[in-house]
Amino acid sequence: MRDSVKGGALTEVTFFILLSLYTPNHGYGIMKFIEEKTQGRLVLGAGSLYGAINTLQERSWITPLDDGKGRKKEYVITKTGKEMADIEIKRLKNLISIAEEIMGGQV
Amino acid sequence: MKKYCRFFGCFLDAQENWLNKMAQKGYRLIRTGKMTYDFEKCKPGEYQYAIEFVAQQSFKSEKEYRTFLEALGYKVFYKNINLNFSIGKIKWRPYGRGMGQISTSPGSYNKELFIVEKKNDGKPFNLHTMNCDKANYYKPLRNAWLTIAAISLAFAVWFYIDTNSISKEVITLIILSLLCSIPMLKYQKRISYFSVQSNTEE
Repeated sequence: MRDSVKGGALTEVTFFILLSLYTPNHGYGIMKFIEEKTQGRLVLGAGSLYGAINTLQERSWITPLDDGKGRKKEYVITKTGKEMADIEIKRLKNLISIAEEIMGGQV
Repeated sequence: MKKYCRFFGCFLDAQENWLNKMAQKGYRLIRTGKMTYDFEKCKPGEYQYAIEFVAQQSFKSEKEYRTFLEALGYKVFYKNINLNFSIGKIKWRPYGRGMGQISTSPGSYNKELFIVEKKNDGKPFNLHTMNCDKANYYKPLRNAWLTIAAISLAFAVWFYIDTNSISKEVITLIILSLLCSIPMLKYQKRISYFSVQSNTEE
């Protein structure tokens, strides 16, 4: 994961994982979410997802839900995670407005 | 049930290809031994296999990863990369991460690989899909080879200094070191490729 925390730029995968966790979700749910929302353009491998989940947990952007004995571990986005998503939206909007300015909005 | 005797050792790609070919012929893996694979009949192409190198991880994180994969609906087999038969052994893996540097038997020893099985859904089965993640995956593999290459080279130099002659041992060690450099360079090439890729994509 190459998310630059300073600049606020998230990778597409990170952003999608955060979005998929606004409602609690488990690993398989995250994979399906990304596949569905991108119509199969972005497919996330299990190993990559595992690494991404661990990194995001270390940064406390997401947190596992402790339901005691559930075999399928569920995760949910944290307050910090939501803040990061907000920053990302601002960055993307800014990027788009610059692009439109230069390209004349003919996209 | 069909039993096959094969040993792929460190040839991970060959092992993955072979298992996928077997699945295409209608054989599903049900058990792995040190040098054996047990198969049962299935519909041709019903399953897909991927090999995952996990030796750099501690036994605990290996288990956590395994649980995660199983929760996704995959089946996971342990596979050994070496042929040492041992119980009550402790091994140091300089290329490991944290507690992954220490491998014990019973424990993570002889469980260097995962064979991951997935029901074929018509899509390619890749555990690693992001460029930087792929680069990171190959790093411990490269480091494992680098470790052996560097250690044998160090011993060669030591023997040479010690005896002040190019003896059989020195030559053997240099050859060993060179041989280990081949897979090391192969993985290094992949790491470089995916690192460069990840600079502009994703």
